[in-house]
Amino acid sequence: MDFTLSAEQQMIRDLCRDFAENEIKPHAEEMDRTSAFPYAIIRKMGNLGLLGLPFPEEYGGAGADFLSYCLALEEIGRGDAAVGITMEAHTSLGATPFHLFGSEAQKQRYLTKLATGEQLWAFGLTEPGAGSDSAGTETHAELHDGTWRINGAKNFITNAGTEMTGGVTITAVTGRQADGHKEITNLIVPQGTPGYSIGNPYHKMGWRASDTRPLAFEDCEVPVENMLGARGEGFRQFMHILDLGRVAIAALSVGLAQACYDEALAYSRERRQFGKPIAAFQAIQFKLADMAMEVELARLMYYKAGWLHMQGQPFGKEASMAKLFASETAKRAADQAVQIHGGYGFMDEYPVSRYWRNVKVHEIGEGTSEVQRMLIAKQL
Amino acid sequence: MNIVVCMKETPSTTAEKSFSPDMRLERRKEDAIPNPFDEYAIEEGLRQQEKHAGSTVTILCMGPATATDTVRKALAMGGDRGVLVSDDALAGSDAISTAHVLAAALKKIGFDLVIFGNAAADAYGGIVPSATAELLGAPLLSYASKLDVDGSTATIERQADIGYNTVAAPMPTLVSVVKAINEPRYPSMKGIMASKKKPLDTFALADLGIDPATVGAAGAREKALSAEKVSTQRKGEIFIGNEGAADRVVAFLVEQKVL
Ligand SMILES: Cc1cc2nc3c(=O)[nH]c(=O)nc-3n(C[C@H](O)[C@H](O)[C@H](O)COP(=O)(O)OP(=O)(O)OC[C@H]3O[C@@H](n4cnc5c(N)ncnc54)[C@H](O)[C@@H]3O)c2cc1C
Repeated sequence: MDFTLSAEQQMIRDLCRDFAENEIKPHAEEMDRTSAFPYAIIRKMGNLGLLGLPFPEEYGGAGADFLSYCLALEEIGRGDAAVGITMEAHTSLGATPFHLFGSEAQKQRYLTKLATGEQLWAFGLTEPGAGSDSAGTETHAELHDGTWRINGAKNFITNAGTEMTGGVTITAVTGRQADGHKEITNLIVPQGTPGYSIGNPYHKMGWRASDTRPLAFEDCEVPVENMLGARGEGFRQFMHILDLGRVAIAALSVGLAQACYDEALAYSRERRQFGKPIAAFQAIQFKLADMAMEVELARLMYYKAGWLHMQGQPFGKEASMAKLFASETAKRAADQAVQIHGGYGFMDEYPVSRYWRNVKVHEIGEGTSEVQRMLIAKQL
Repeated sequence: MNIVVCMKETPSTTAEKSFSPDMRLERRKEDAIPNPFDEYAIEEGLRQQEKHAGSTVTILCMGPATATDTVRKALAMGGDRGVLVSDDALAGSDAISTAHVLAAALKKIGFDLVIFGNAAADAYGGIVPSATAELLGAPLLSYASKLDVDGSTATIERQADIGYNTVAAPMPTLVSVVKAINEPRYPSMKGIMASKKKPLDTFALADLGIDPATVGAAGAREKALSAEKVSTQRKGEIFIGNEGAADRVVAFLVEQKVL
């Protein structure tokens, strides 16, 4: 067993660490306060190739491996979770489906723009009536004369409404299978398609600078070739996308947990009470020791899940374990980081209060903690 | 134009430093980075290459065998190839020995323009550029905050406290640059992925015709005696009272050249 990262993996991680420290962190407080989408940062990331890490060079990607992409996400997420989720939703949910399931023409048409960061892309699975029960999709599409006519609604869709967004890929019911189950197909809906309307961004507890929107489809028509892969493959496709996405969310959560630990450690060495830095008190040291340990364990779990995937082995259970453990680790780390800051941690001036708000959604997005436990239990 | 950028491998500025009993910095591979001052030299080399079509950029480094990774880190920013001069006999080299080796390597590679950072973040001697120029019999345009290459002449602006000089030299020439000259780019992901495919040659002393007895610890005329940490104790000054305190704060900031 060898835990050494390759030279490229280290370089990508180090670059992202520098980028997050110099280009993201200084703006994190303002982004959170204004909820303004960080166009300047996202464009810079696109120019560096950070929005197309795991895609082949022939489609404009960097040709890096999946673990490199996760390492990058950890570091970007350590700088700011809202920027991190923008990168993750674009890469894992937006662009990956084209890479894995798109036709050559679709890859040329869409993936090349997404991998270079010229455009962002969204993936719309969740609906008002279909959250954890993601197969409960009610949005439906009928094929008439070579055209899909879509009706329905999606909610909580990341990256759907930015100025850079090229469109959304949605799940839709396109019929019934022989066994009576819904036939689900993924359809590509470019921005500006008549009948497709994008609602105002939600006001959120965290990840504020990320773009999250409700979507509505009213007799929205796209040509038959906007089907991603084969008809009826939608369910299988998004299950695979979500497995990959969970490893990525785990990495993002480790970044946030690490940021909580960094702040808590630095503060505990500075803050003096009873004539000593609070880091001299064992009660504080034990919290920091637990945080350091859990961050490292969570990191190892996403490394392992990513590694299994790169080896071509099944990784779904490990992906759920990584996502669940990393997001709950980040929650505990955020909680303890605020505790270590005392009253200051409750104030907006201190990043840990923002981390505490940001972390909650890590236990919800791309499958709640309950869903992860169900998925793990099913595979025991 | 044949551009060569000299780059030293240094420990990351945040890494814990330790020394062997004979006062050599103990270098750990995982802490190694391109000397931060040299990033400005690399950036300048790349900018000159972009301005002068058909130019090539070579990264030249003298260092341990493991410094290939650091040369590749530099190549991730850009450039065409790397040259590492590495030999067990080089351990413990002083600045003059380093200059001998770089001069010999530069003669072998050939150059029109050689760019250095103005010092290395670890030893901070700052004389390698001038010593190398002397050994090559070439001019050195030192402390450049701006560089223009026009035909066979290189012109720099040299930043001073209250202004700058404009200085020119015929090519081939050496230039050392200061941080004000540019803002080094981040390596792009494609640059990182491409860096491992770029040619990287390693030369030993024999390849450069250098007698091992004249370099390394054997040939060193400089000897480090000790290394101490700068005391990081903060030196605070407190101005109290309504009257004049603000003026004194302003005066202090002006004195510190903050304002
Ligand atoms: C900021 C943000 C961004 C998002 N981005 C996207 C996106 O880009 N694309 C997208 O498609 N979706 C996105 N989502 C949606 C997200 O994936 C869902 O919110 C999530 O899957 C949960 O669905 P729900 O909100 O409907 O909760 P529900 O499914 O209604 O869950 C409510 C509670 O019930 C629990 N629960 C549900 N079923 C069970 C069960 N069988 N057993 C035990 N407990 C259960 C849940 O765990 C949860 O605690 C985003 C959400 C947020 C908040």
